[in-house]
Amino acid sequence: MMASSYNAKDEDGHITVSGPGGGTLRSKKPENTAFKQQRLPAWQPILTAGTVLPAFFIIGLIFIPIGIGLYVTSNNIKEFEVTLYDMSGPHQNPFRNCNNVFMYYGLSNFYQNHRRYVKSRDDSQLNGDLESLMKPSKECEPYAYHENKPIAPCGAIANSMFNDTLELFYNDPNGTKIQIPMTATGIAWWTDKHVKFRNPTDNANLTAVFQGTTKPVNWRRPVYELDTDPQNNGFINEDFIVWMRTAALPTFRKLYRIIPKKNSMVPTLLRGNYTLEVVYNYPVRSFEGRKRMILSTISWMGGKNPFLGIAYITVGSVCFFLGVVLLIIHHKYGNRNNSADIAN
Amino acid sequence: ACLGLADIKIWVLTGDKLETAMNIGYSCNMLRDDMNEVFVISGHTLLEVQQQLRSAKEHILGLSRVSSAGDVEKTDMFAEDSVFEETIIAEYALVINGHSLAHALEPQLEHTLLDLACLCKTVICCRVTPMQKAQVVELVKRHKRAVTLAIGDGANDVSMIKTAHIGVGISGQEGMQAALASDYSFAQFRYLQRLLLVHGRWSYFRMCNFLCYFFYKNFAFTLVHFWYGFFCGFSAQTVYDQWFITLFNIVYTSLPVLAMGLFDQDVNDQNSLRYPSLYKPGQQNLLFNKRQFFMCTLQGMGTSFLLFFIPYGAFSVTVKEDGSNFSDQQAFAVTIATSLVIVASVQIGLETHYWTAVNHLFIWGSLTVYFAILFAMQSNGMFGIFPSNFPFIGTARNCLSEKSVWLVILLTTVVCVVPGLAVSFLRVDLFPTLTDKVRHLQQTTKRQGPQEQNLRRVRRTSSRRSAYAFSHQQGYGELITSGKNMRTSTVSSARSPQRTPHSSNWIENMLKRKNEVSCISV
Repeated sequence: MMASSYNAKDEDGHITVSGPGGGTLRSKKPENTAFKQQRLPAWQPILTAGTVLPAFFIIGLIFIPIGIGLYVTSNNIKEFEVTLYDMSGPHQNPFRNCNNVFMYYGLSNFYQNHRRYVKSRDDSQLNGDLESLMKPSKECEPYAYHENKPIAPCGAIANSMFNDTLELFYNDPNGTKIQIPMTATGIAWWTDKHVKFRNPTDNANLTAVFQGTTKPVNWRRPVYELDTDPQNNGFINEDFIVWMRTAALPTFRKLYRIIPKKNSMVPTLLRGNYTLEVVYNYPVRSFEGRKRMILSTISWMGGKNPFLGIAYITVGSVCFFLGVVLLIIHHKYGNRNNSADIAN
Repeated sequence: ACLGLADIKIWVLTGDKLETAMNIGYSCNMLRDDMNEVFVISGHTLLEVQQQLRSAKEHILGLSRVSSAGDVEKTDMFAEDSVFEETIIAEYALVINGHSLAHALEPQLEHTLLDLACLCKTVICCRVTPMQKAQVVELVKRHKRAVTLAIGDGANDVSMIKTAHIGVGISGQEGMQAALASDYSFAQFRYLQRLLLVHGRWSYFRMCNFLCYFFYKNFAFTLVHFWYGFFCGFSAQTVYDQWFITLFNIVYTSLPVLAMGLFDQDVNDQNSLRYPSLYKPGQQNLLFNKRQFFMCTLQGMGTSFLLFFIPYGAFSVTVKEDGSNFSDQQAFAVTIATSLVIVASVQIGLETHYWTAVNHLFIWGSLTVYFAILFAMQSNGMFGIFPSNFPFIGTARNCLSEKSVWLVILLTTVVCVVPGLAVSFLRVDLFPTLTDKVRHLQQTTKRQGPQEQNLRRVRRTSSRRSAYAFSHQQGYGELITSGKNMRTSTVSSARSPQRTPHSSNWIENMLKRKNEVSCISV
């Protein structure tokens, strides 16, 4: 039986159907482009000894000097730490260089990274939004209102701000105690101080601005009396900002003051005995926390941290050693990739 | 022949008569004269069929093995329903006609039939009704741990196509019913080879790589929080920024793995066809099984451990260059997040075997997009608009401008990537699989430049049979015997591997002249 329409099928399956009315319909053959036919040009790397082994050696050779550099730099940083629980007498000063010296306070067993704690703040209020000033967000509960007044700044983070005062005195050979001048500005991030934290208005009279709010429960003074310097008062007080930047780990240190260098000739801190005077306001016994004070210089890689240097040296040597081992293994047992082996 | 080398068993189910089917079998090289025995089952009653099946089986296995009841010998290794199959060196073929098949498919005989069929190299069923085609497929599906594929071109094949795991329809001569009922359809039988050996294999390879990588990156991403739990009082504080968590799987790491899933090729298509045994890893589930899953989970866990603890060690006392703090939650988050994205990108780079332009675009693009979004979201502008939603203001700028942070990221990346690299290198060097060898060969060939490739020519054993009888209209007998339409190159001499057993050129020639539906329905 002859079919009424002619279906011709040529060599590669290209079907053209001509209906009774004449004319050809669209063919069903897929497009023969490189993209659709999976023929895109490509780079096909494979793991050979020629690429992998040099990579290992290069990594080793780069990392070991970096590690040594880091370790040496870290060793050159002077750091001095004293635990704050008793004020035993004067301490020796190991510092001898001529750069800025940084004073930190450190806390241990203080979980600033606890989830409920981290959430307990109102960034709009801290940014100076007037509405949030009077109506702190719910995240700040239960530190949002006190005696029916909104707390400024609200939240658990603000409430637990570190408020010990630390002062350093130099014991002069003839007996007088000279206070070392320390700057309290320049300790916070620029973006924090100028963008994230803003006082509700730029009005210099902060007392009026914060009218109607109350201080956080654990604070001694309200926020607009944190410092006499108007540039460091209110929400933009740098100690406050530093505290509000919650730490990642339960043992942390935060920058407290900077002892500026005098000039490049004279050491910042002369040799001799120093006394640290602490006004203890901050209770840590209840959660078995510990406080300490750290004096440190810094370098291009930050503070004293031998971890990075040691890690680099270790990884570099392991890589190099691994490269050697792989080279030996490859030499002895490798070379099985001969194409003559391919059985078909 | 090619598919046979790939460990694929081919059964022919046709509605033709016995002689026609056997002739087709000989012409396609499925039945050969040098086969030990060709069993023909053509009994009319159940008992006769049973007798023939058993005697054939005994002939193959030897008398001692087959018990008198004709039951399947089960060993402890196999699952209850699977059939015991012995590897035999001699070659047998089984031809069974539809009438006997009807008896053989009865419950008491089907196991015997299946055993016997699996012991034979080739099975041809002739005079099969559409229902029986489906039943045969069903039998294999139920009792053997094998994936079945049915290919046909007519309406009578629809039930078989639907029953099999994969149905392939040939569109064209007999209309579109088969093509419409199938999972895949193309126009010629010979495309099956390409479908299986090239695209099927690539698909399996890509899917396994994709899955492995996906699990790896998600474990690496999520388990960081597990480690962090020990240091944040188990309060479920997230390590990362909320936005990073949202965008990680959608934006930062989705496109590279998608490109790998679409374009990756381990071996190019010519070599896939040339070495059919590359198909075996797919059949044996080698590329993604419980062990592979466990390995990639382990790798993910290890990466998450390093991703957390290296920054942890570096950040515990670190400060910025200007002395101000730096070991805060947000800087920690940005450092770990950046390391994670870089490690994930490097890892996918190492796992991609076929770098097309799209792959390059997606991988480098994802990294660029990550940094762009990072800086955009932590910029002053976004904070100005939505202060509560973007608390990470300024962090990226302050954090990523520190040299120590980049040193930490570099260290983390290297430490996470190097073990995997060493292991893969050793595996390829000491225990190369066929895939590795072919890839190596491909690379050396490419380097040597295009040369005269010696195609392996499968020498087709010339059949001693010279007569092919078809029932057609008058006049064709002279045409065939005069040899006018026979192209000698395609019938007798060397044959390139592209031609499958199922189509011979001169048959199609006949079809063209006749304009009629052919009798070859399989």
